[in-house]
Amino acid sequence: MTSSYQHQGTGRDYQKNLLGAWYRRLENAPRDGTPVAYLFISGNIGELLRSFGFELLFPEVNALQCGIKKVSGGMILKAEDLGYSSDVCGYVKNDIGLAATGNRGPFGALPKPDLLVCTYSGCNTYIKWFEALAELYGARLFLLDVPYRRTGETQRQEDLDYVVAQLEQLAAVCAEITSRPYDPDRLSQSLAHSRAAEDLWVRILESARHRPSPFDAFFEAVFFMAPIYVLRGTRECVDYYEAAWKEIEERLRYRIGPVSEERFRVVIEGPPPWPHFRNFWELFKRWGVCCVASTYSKVGGIWDFGLRHDPARPLESLAEYAVNCYTNWDWTLRRQMLDRYAATYQADALVIHSVKSCRAFSVGQADVREYFTKTRGLPTLFVESDLADPRYFAEAQIRNRLDAFFEALEHRRLAAHRPEAARPGA
Amino acid sequence: MLVAGVDIGSTATKAAILDENKQVRALSLVDTGANVVRAAERAFQEALRRTGLEAWDVTFTVGTGYGRYRLPFGDLQVTEISCHTKGACFLFPRTRTILDIGGQDTKAIRVNERAEVTDFSMNDKCAAGTGRFLEAAAQVLGLELGELGPVAAASRKPLKITNVCTVFVEQEIVMHLARGCPVEDVLAGVHQAIAGRSLGLLRRVGLEEEITFTGGVACNPGMVRALEERLKLRLNVAPESQYIGAIGAALFAWERAAHGEAGRQKNTSCAEAGTGPGGG
Repeated sequence: MTSSYQHQGTGRDYQKNLLGAWYRRLENAPRDGTPVAYLFISGNIGELLRSFGFELLFPEVNALQCGIKKVSGGMILKAEDLGYSSDVCGYVKNDIGLAATGNRGPFGALPKPDLLVCTYSGCNTYIKWFEALAELYGARLFLLDVPYRRTGETQRQEDLDYVVAQLEQLAAVCAEITSRPYDPDRLSQSLAHSRAAEDLWVRILESARHRPSPFDAFFEAVFFMAPIYVLRGTRECVDYYEAAWKEIEERLRYRIGPVSEERFRVVIEGPPPWPHFRNFWELFKRWGVCCVASTYSKVGGIWDFGLRHDPARPLESLAEYAVNCYTNWDWTLRRQMLDRYAATYQADALVIHSVKSCRAFSVGQADVREYFTKTRGLPTLFVESDLADPRYFAEAQIRNRLDAFFEALEHRRLAAHRPEAARPGA
Repeated sequence: MLVAGVDIGSTATKAAILDENKQVRALSLVDTGANVVRAAERAFQEALRRTGLEAWDVTFTVGTGYGRYRLPFGDLQVTEISCHTKGACFLFPRTRTILDIGGQDTKAIRVNERAEVTDFSMNDKCAAGTGRFLEAAAQVLGLELGELGPVAAASRKPLKITNVCTVFVEQEIVMHLARGCPVEDVLAGVHQAIAGRSLGLLRRVGLEEEITFTGGVACNPGMVRALEERLKLRLNVAPESQYIGAIGAALFAWERAAHGEAGRQKNTSCAEAGTGPGGG
């Protein structure tokens, strides 16, 4: 194994610089006269907004940045001071707390929105979040009503037509705010960049099929996925994935992985506990665990299932993308996705990190656990904390569960390789 | 050859010493208190004293429980889930499901025919349904822990305790007493509430006979009865229930020692006294 290599750290460092530059553009947007649109990651139609010259801001990304930089706890308390209940989504409270304290976070000052586009209607709390922001900033709110993707049905054309009609309405709103006409050629050009970045990102994700995996599809993916979430549709995003792929290619060549010795391959469902991200990762690293596939790295798009933006069908492909975001899928589809990951990536186990303050997304995870444990015979670990609220992370208990889980897997693996006579009960 | 297991739990610290034939030579229990290192040393020393041997006679020591990483003389740390499984399957080899109710934790563990953990489930950041829930009830009723089971046994009409919070359950108990409800009915209700929560955990991992009940709460006959009534099954309960984690840890130590692994020099106060060579 090589301890250092030519492109080492490219994925992380380049991403950090890109995000830093993006936040600086946001900070300078009022001075530069650049219009700003707020939107969600899931099913976002950023390319359309960007074609009108909007700079994009994602409150979820601000919330996770506050989490990983350990300031979300204070923001959440501020929102609770304002009357938000302890049960409300940690991301929402973080953002409300941020807005209530001058909209300045560890990433700098944030501009006010000229337009709020609620791009994800699968979570009612998210709708209320943007309604609260609209009132707080006095900004215009456009709610994109995305039909739920139902099991057992092929993609229904009327669903896509419904979203396309709304996108046309949104284009008219954008034209009114920015005084720029809708330019389908400009949008198509942007979608061509999206498609190129999506091809490269899928190549990186699928590199985890190798043994050892060169890439952790959860703990590293959260860094590698940031450009395709916030800068998709730009040339700089494509450049990033070309550079990041070089790093992965090199890791593959030298058989370098995210853990020094890959002992367990897992699939992870659920988001990370951002305020304790590094501690959480360390708990897995101690056991030589590499995540080979995760659902969280797909909340921005399930391109590894073949979906691509199509420059030849700009609004239609944006609609397809919005309807088919991971969080808009029902549990049967999500379970099928996990099933496919477990088989394709040869996982030893499934890990579910459930989010205490998110009912919409966590309900059903207990059934998933039961399905994999009892029907599939795949060992499944269930741990619970929160994605933003540091108070819900009990390290001693989570560590105990993780240790017990991987200890049991190891004992079973050792026993399977032991001669029959030496096994207990033999 | 002697081996030891030390289980540093949230409420009590237990030590078990086994000989080369896996026979339990000594058991001991002390309150964990604020100093887990001191508690571990005291428990180990007390067990050792009962064997009449010295620290260097102990070949290998395994620590378990929440305080396991603080065990200064431990040669290996193993989680209490593995240790309870080891101990329960040693005492009751046909065990397929384990319920462990300790001071702050309740665990349901599924094991296969090779005594390997296949699944487990635990209570989450809440002490409802654990030993602490019983302690809260004992405190408000002015009873000793040992009295809870026998008092509850006299109940003819157990009350329904609806609270799932260990702190607020005290208020609910006071409210029932203020209404003139008999203590035994309140207490039987508390036992049934814990049994209900335990059943949820057991169902999550899948109930399969035989079921072995471990942990300090298994010493309470009222709890055993409440569980057996809910499950409509007999539970395996060993007289040394509270020590099963420590015994399991000692069995892991035995396996290591049997494979020729030697532990480190024992750095307990006994070894420090310079009475002989350490480790071995």
